[in-house]
Amino acid sequence: MDYDKQLKLQALLDGELPEAEASAVAQWLAQDHEAAALREELRNTRGALAEFEAGIQMPESREFFWSKVQREIERLETPAAKPASAPFSALWRRFLVPASAVAALIIAGVVLNRPDSTGHTPAAEIETALADSGAFTYRDYSAGTTLVWLSYPADTEVADNDEMGTVE
Amino acid sequence: MRTKLTPANRLVWFPTLLVLLACVAVDAQAADAKFQVFLLWGTDDSKPPEGKAYKPVQPEIRQKLKELPLKWANWFEVNRVDFAVQQGVTKEVPISAKCQVNVKKLADSELELCLVGKGKEVVKRKQSLPKGEMLVLGGNAPNSTAWLVLLKRIE
Repeated sequence: MDYDKQLKLQALLDGELPEAEASAVAQWLAQDHEAAALREELRNTRGALAEFEAGIQMPESREFFWSKVQREIERLETPAAKPASAPFSALWRRFLVPASAVAALIIAGVVLNRPDSTGHTPAAEIETALADSGAFTYRDYSAGTTLVWLSYPADTEVADNDEMGTVE
Repeated sequence: MRTKLTPANRLVWFPTLLVLLACVAVDAQAADAKFQVFLLWGTDDSKPPEGKAYKPVQPEIRQKLKELPLKWANWFEVNRVDFAVQQGVTKEVPISAKCQVNVKKLADSELELCLVGKGKEVVKRKQSLPKGEMLVLGGNAPNSTAWLVLLKRIE
């Protein structure tokens, strides 16, 4: 039996054939035992499936179930929405975290280097890079004066006898 | 209506305050420092050398010099230059034809001073010099006299 004839049998069982064609198929069934046997088998199968489906109860209404399917299809078809831009306060906070760390370091540096009551910074240790090995330093703390006496100019460098001839 | 400072608000305002404080601190540090530099001549004579119209030093400076272990009785002002220095900048200040000072402001009261004589670096010194204080560099000059380069911070 070919495939078209099998489909005709199925259509008959489903009641989808026009009246004239249905009577023609019925005549054919009366003459062909193989076709009749197949019709019985299809009928049994249909009956079994109907009994099986009858036991299944949907937890929701039919309309609701299909609306869910529809929404899911629409969701998949919709392009992914762009992530919402972060609010200004969040951006500001993101900037402030490193900025405040830098600010804290600057403030710490300023506080640590703040002059004491005499006006001298803790880190401001006097450092002298003297080319003049004969120099000496005198510090008058009460007057706030530092004197650095140099051997410059060396005696041999004093070429003239003009006062201030060396520096003027 | 009173606004409550919630933890979230504090998280924004405290760092903002810190940043503002740091800006103020940096600005204060970056302020110009103003100085006067004097070239002085010391002698036991009561008058400046002939042909030189040196003026006696200001009373305030004379008093400060008296407190230093210097043997000369009189000090005359050969030259005076007022100048200002920005943070991190080196200012070259000529005080005579043969002599100049290079002053660099390092921090709020810290500076680096370099004395250059006849084109050569004589001394380089880093020290704290708050307002009103003085740094005096000096040496012997011919005929038992002395020269001084006096740097005074005025602001």
